[in-house]
Amino acid sequence: MRKVMALLLAGGVGSRLNILVQYRAKPAVPFGGIYRIIDFTLSNIANCGLTRVAVLTQYKPLSLMDHIGDGSAWDLAGRTRGISILPPKTGEKDWDWYKGTADAVRQNMSFLSSGQNTEALILSGDHVYCMDYGPLVQFHRANRAHVTIGMIRVPWGETRHFGTGTLDGENRIVDWEEKSKRARSNLASMGIYVFDRDYLVTTLSETKEEDFGSQIIPRALKGAKVFGYPFEGYWRDVGTIDAYWDANMDLLRPGSGLSPEACGIRTNQSADQLPYDRPPVRIIGSAHVANAAVSPGCVIQGSVENSILSPGVIIEKGAFVKDSIIMHDAKVGKGTRIERSIIDKEASIGEESVIGQGNPRVANARFPDHVYSGLTLIGKRASIPSHSRIGTNCIVHPDVREDDFPSRELADGGTQEK
Amino acid sequence: MKNVLAMILAGGRVDELDVLTFLRPKSVLPFGALYRIIDFPMSNLMNSGIERVGILSQYRPFYLINHIANGQPWDMVGRNRFAVILPPFKGREASDWYKGTADAVYRNIDFIKMYNPDLVLILSGDHIYKMDYLDVINYHVEKKADLTIAFTPTPREGPGRFGQGLIEGQDPTGGRLVEYIEKPKKRVLDWASLTIYVFNQKVLLDALEENAGKDSHEFGKDIIPSLLGNSRIFGYKHIGYWGYTRTLEEYWRTSMDLLGDRAQIDLKSWQIRTNLAHREIRDRQPTIFGPASTVTDSLVHSGCLVKGKVSRSLLFPGAVVEEGAVVEDSILFFDTKVAKGARVTRTITDIGVAIGRSAIVGGPGGKLSVIGMESSLPEEIEVHDGVTIYPNVPADHFTQREYSSGEVVK
Repeated sequence: MRKVMALLLAGGVGSRLNILVQYRAKPAVPFGGIYRIIDFTLSNIANCGLTRVAVLTQYKPLSLMDHIGDGSAWDLAGRTRGISILPPKTGEKDWDWYKGTADAVRQNMSFLSSGQNTEALILSGDHVYCMDYGPLVQFHRANRAHVTIGMIRVPWGETRHFGTGTLDGENRIVDWEEKSKRARSNLASMGIYVFDRDYLVTTLSETKEEDFGSQIIPRALKGAKVFGYPFEGYWRDVGTIDAYWDANMDLLRPGSGLSPEACGIRTNQSADQLPYDRPPVRIIGSAHVANAAVSPGCVIQGSVENSILSPGVIIEKGAFVKDSIIMHDAKVGKGTRIERSIIDKEASIGEESVIGQGNPRVANARFPDHVYSGLTLIGKRASIPSHSRIGTNCIVHPDVREDDFPSRELADGGTQEK
Repeated sequence: MKNVLAMILAGGRVDELDVLTFLRPKSVLPFGALYRIIDFPMSNLMNSGIERVGILSQYRPFYLINHIANGQPWDMVGRNRFAVILPPFKGREASDWYKGTADAVYRNIDFIKMYNPDLVLILSGDHIYKMDYLDVINYHVEKKADLTIAFTPTPREGPGRFGQGLIEGQDPTGGRLVEYIEKPKKRVLDWASLTIYVFNQKVLLDALEENAGKDSHEFGKDIIPSLLGNSRIFGYKHIGYWGYTRTLEEYWRTSMDLLGDRAQIDLKSWQIRTNLAHREIRDRQPTIFGPASTVTDSLVHSGCLVKGKVSRSLLFPGAVVEEGAVVEDSILFFDTKVAKGARVTRTITDIGVAIGRSAIVGGPGGKLSVIGMESSLPEEIEVHDGVTIYPNVPADHFTQREYSSGEVVK
């Protein structure tokens, strides 16, 4: 595996995650209590023995760079191992932002073509999954392929989000469609590509094509040996609020297949710059905690059901949290009821409030494509006054203050800006 | 600020803690559902800005070395920052184990001379407390003392465990130490030593040299009495929580001070750090509470799975309480597993202990039961209160169905 370099494309905006990506890139969105989305790919990389890793960033990279640090949290720091962070840089032209996934790799041609590597493994930092890339690379080598694509069966209704392909008896890809509503196959690209390194260098030099899925792969299918590697296991694209919530809840569903500790997923817990280690979870009095994932540093005096709590969350007496995701150091005041909500870091919800109850058929008025399934989003550091009522499919922007909220009411589908 | 070098006496194993210190020095005994006892002085040092530390250890130092690592968990890595373990070494004479607290420091006199500090702060690695050492250091400097000892009011219970002192005057901060008696049987003087000493370097080295030729080498028993009367010794009055962990019962009671809404130990404000790489704490996922779990007044760290009932208990990372199991007034160290329907009361289980289905361990009211590292209790066994089970006892080694109070299983 030391002959394989990994290029992790972490530049995605992930705009459908709405306010969760207002301050951070999608790969840096917190997941599963203590993790961030990118931890899954980084841990997969480290666990299969890859040692030369580049992370290509672009959009809001600060929290991501903080989080990755020197890579030591994944044991990727050392004399013969390392993570290089590759942001866009100005070159000959003024405007050298990455224009697409393939363009991002092209702009780092010097990294790609240096070193003794024979294959380049292109990954995205947007997915939650556990995978050993070893068999994929072996499969690629055994087939003497130019390109091998990691593929997985998805529900037929979701093919429109993916590139889909049909394999022949030897697993060679014989038919390909990009984001088709009526796809001929439901075997979808996981956004994982093993390229013969020289083939990739040549291809990127010969064309100006900017995207792997829609351009480089279709081109390869015409003249090169492209194989599909069918993967069976847990894999989720968490690109929508709905999918994000659902994948988080998989942590609580026995048999869901999501088990980060068992498959060696690691995170960088010292990145939040606390002067101390998060103490154990404190359960005070007869708190009710059922079907919940709770991270260190939480203090629970109320009730928590079917929810995911990141480190440092405070649930005061008489508060009731159900079907929700609550991120680092958020606070839920006395007697407040929260249902089906995603509460971002350091948000503070006052006492005796009701959040997330209402008619789920009323989609968010401003972002009906993002928030429509009966979930409410409360932004980072937002402060909700006591005795508020916030409906379902609502969006409260980051940093909203109590006095932005004079009526203390937000109807279903409403949005509160700062 | 004065140039301070800290030395932690972390070597001993304490007989009263029984099987919990068979395989480890007391300073790395797990405490508080996450930490080790030595994390408290180490974090206090870090929070006091004292970042040059020597740790004196001789009993099974591997666990301590593993825990302290390179000092990085407490930010004690850098050009002028370090935390190093100082084990005994073989000299010219035959027996070279540390012969007492003062001997341990005396053997490392080169270490002190190398760093040449103004002051040497000597701590013991077995108390649970929060203290800004700069308070006692500043007091020491202000009084131009040769030696300053931190004291707390002598407790009514078990006063014989302490060196006791008489502090001159009514100043609430402290005063001249005029009398000192090492571990008298009764409560004879008002102030009990916390075994925290601030020495001027020269005073310490001279006293150690003088003591070296004698046959007893303890700070409390020998060094302090030898200095009393001919040096400026001050007592500094420390106000605040002080947790003892000398006996099983004491350790358990100090642990219980972490629980409830009036917990006396507030870990968050104490800003304690530990080594998250030890026992892979940092790689553990959030704790999962099952659909039918009930939890009351407890501390639970990461990587646990709680499906049963837990009350007034501490669960270290990786502890598992299966469906129908009940854990009350107990402390489960790392990766303890309590199988379905088992009942654990007033029991301390060491790392990796497994309790079989429907087993009953410990009982309310009686003495604590304690189960050594990696031991495995078979299904449906009944272990009464006050039972001691040694480390590494496999399930098929238990020949009786029932073990009554006070029994010891080896």
